[in-house]
Amino acid sequence: MTSDADVFAIALRTLAVSGAALTCALLLGLPTALWLARRRFSGRRVIVSLVNAGMGLPPVVVGLVVALTLWRSGPLGSLGLMYTTTAMAVAQVLIALPLVVGISLAALMALGDEWHVQVRGLGVRGWRATWLLVRETRAGLLAAVIAGLGGILSEVGAVMMVGGNLEGETRVLTTGILMYTQMGRFSEALSLSAVLLGLTFVLAAVLTALQQAERA
Amino acid sequence: MSGACVLSARELRIVRGAPPTGFMLAVAALDLMAGEVLAVVGPNGAGKTTLLRALAGLEPECEGRVRRANERPVAMIFQRPVMLSGSVAFNVRAPLWGAGVPRTQAARRAAAALARFRLEAFAGRSAATLSGGEMRRVALAQAFVREPGVLLLDEPFDDLDVAARESLTLDLRSAIRDTGAAVALVSHDLGQALLLAERIAVLIDGQLVQLGPREQVLRQPATPEAARLLGMANLLPGRVVAREGEDRAVVEVGPGVRLSSVSDAAIGEHVVAGIRPEDVKIDVGRGATPIVGKGRVLHTLSDGALVTLQIDWGGAVLRTFLIAGRGLGHALRPGDLVSLAIRPEDVHLMRMA
Repeated sequence: MTSDADVFAIALRTLAVSGAALTCALLLGLPTALWLARRRFSGRRVIVSLVNAGMGLPPVVVGLVVALTLWRSGPLGSLGLMYTTTAMAVAQVLIALPLVVGISLAALMALGDEWHVQVRGLGVRGWRATWLLVRETRAGLLAAVIAGLGGILSEVGAVMMVGGNLEGETRVLTTGILMYTQMGRFSEALSLSAVLLGLTFVLAAVLTALQQAERA
Repeated sequence: MSGACVLSARELRIVRGAPPTGFMLAVAALDLMAGEVLAVVGPNGAGKTTLLRALAGLEPECEGRVRRANERPVAMIFQRPVMLSGSVAFNVRAPLWGAGVPRTQAARRAAAALARFRLEAFAGRSAATLSGGEMRRVALAQAFVREPGVLLLDEPFDDLDVAARESLTLDLRSAIRDTGAAVALVSHDLGQALLLAERIAVLIDGQLVQLGPREQVLRQPATPEAARLLGMANLLPGRVVAREGEDRAVVEVGPGVRLSSVSDAAIGEHVVAGIRPEDVKIDVGRGATPIVGKGRVLHTLSDGALVTLQIDWGGAVLRTFLIAGRGLGHALRPGDLVSLAIRPEDVHLMRMA
């Protein structure tokens, strides 16, 4: 039987792993999107195509790749990360990254070259121009954050494969729900689902409030 | 009014695409003087906007040198200014924030710029809700808040109604006078540009065809195409058939139709005689200007203020203006015969290439 304390621990672990994954995806994804939006170079189109394709990446395939990489005999097997929360976070970053880059890039590109020329014409350059760009496109960028968060929180296949759903170690809300459902323990599955839904709703509500805030 | 050179451009060159569809801007030398307004006129696609952007340092592929004589910035107002999301006050402060100006100083300067362009009441309003004319004012405030040494204006009066144009012109004129900024102004509306300009640059196909004081450029355009752009609506091709006295050439512009011009053109030269419409007078017998002949009114076109007359003069069509609704402007009808008077000093001869 799962106690309240267990549910709480699972929810907390879910938040920690997903939070870490989202942070990494944003730290990698937003600068990448800014770079792709502002630079013109050969091969850029290929990268953008890969990003767009990546937005529909099947999570189980990501899980398989991460598993093969972190497996004891794999290229990074010596790190001993298989069946850890770190492995789960890595898989989640790979799933969220194309979503964050793709949606951010679309938002940043929507402003067009003229906007950049005129901001430069105002004498605003360097990091200040980047800050104005982020400020101007923040609704779209927050949509990217929301999409990334959704991708991470709802993910089950990949984290199951690389995390192993170990009780007290790598069990998170989604893998817990999956396991209890397979065992026919629906009440536990339902209570974990309620927590996951509540968590998703609260986080989405906070981000939406930020996105829709009056621009002044 | 004009002072020292504040911006000097040399050997500007931008090439986009290959001929015949490509575009090239090539300007050997252009200087802007403190406190002056230079109007850049030219047909669509001549490169006027590109030239302004090059002067502002916003054309990365531009070759050549643009030098500022002092540290005051170069500000540009775009034909369609984009507003940053946020209030009008935020938009006006943004360039100062971009330049790292301390907050209290920025607030003071932004307040002064808002007041100068009568935007105090709009300060708290979202810039996205402004009309075209209001956005233009915000763009001007954004430019002047930087205390620019050079101001580049791309069609600043486009899409504005008459009242908005007039008030913006007056505010702009006093702002230019107070700050001593050098201004280069692009406008497809010559009349509007002339309300401010002291010098005129004519840009055709990316080349600076003419640059000089406004009266000189208006009265002595370098080429027939420049003449057309500058409102010299009467362009009559002809040949010099005689010399008169020291300084005059007699041009035949049609069979038996002759004009005298103050010009050093030699007998036999093929020329285009340019006459501004306002210099073609309908003689009513007072006799001050030399009568060149009689013509018949072909058409009258009135915009309510001015009547444009098209007059057939021995096969050549001459245009002239009259005040609408009074005197000849009221009386003349198509088919009427009129005496035409044109002074030789108002006939400008351009040699045919």
